[in-house]
Amino acid sequence: MLVRLGFKMRGSIKRPPTPDAEEEEEEDREATLEQIINIKLISSGEKERLKEVLRERLNECGWKDEMKSLCRSYTRKKGRNNVSVDELVHLITPKGRAAVPDSVKAELLQRIRSFLLHSTAL
Amino acid sequence: MSAPDEDNSSDHTQLASHFFGELLDSVIMDVASECHRIARLGLDRNLDDEEEELRLSAQARAKVADPSNSEANSKYVVDIFGQTHPAVANEIFDCMNCGRSIVAGRFAPHLEKCMGKGRKARVKSTRSSTAAAQNR
Repeated sequence: MLVRLGFKMRGSIKRPPTPDAEEEEEEDREATLEQIINIKLISSGEKERLKEVLRERLNECGWKDEMKSLCRSYTRKKGRNNVSVDELVHLITPKGRAAVPDSVKAELLQRIRSFLLHSTAL
Repeated sequence: MSAPDEDNSSDHTQLASHFFGELLDSVIMDVASECHRIARLGLDRNLDDEEEELRLSAQARAKVADPSNSEANSKYVVDIFGQTHPAVANEIFDCMNCGRSIVAGRFAPHLEKCMGKGRKARVKSTRSSTAAAQNR
């Protein structure tokens, strides 16, 4: 007969004393908050709206054209059929992140923060 | 414990940055995907020609804007059709007022004299025009 003693005792046996345990719990709480906010963002449709705003701003300021031109010159060198989406993502991610205008970033952060204020105030 | 407001705003800032990063990465992914599709379908053939044109027009604009060019080259300036134009128009035709043969480039000043003087110094005003002037 096999008796399974599979249940873990959470608490003092496995975990070291207080300070570390608190840290771990705090981290769990933070991750959950992020997940909760993410769900709220998505279900309210706000995430999609924010993405649209970001896309529009990046288009207006020529950021997208810059990225497309980078991709084109890379593709020309490597050959049309020798590039993968992954390569292009790796190519433009660092430059893309750096090239976002401060005003665009500020606007999006402001909108997100205001969403956070309203959603966590409840 | 530190003031709750401070904690909140730094948490919010961190969270906001995290979500901004997610949104940006998502946009980047879309752009990369679009470029990949364009490359694989060969839709970028026209773009090379467009780029060449843009380059040439920027070049032309720089040439026009360059002050050192304007004096020396004004006689040899070429328009967008590749034609050069002399300073004074060459064509000759007949004035419909006096019937003389006039060079087109000298037509406007000719008309001034031709219609302004006639037999006397200025045009004799007709009754209707003087009446209209008096009624103002």
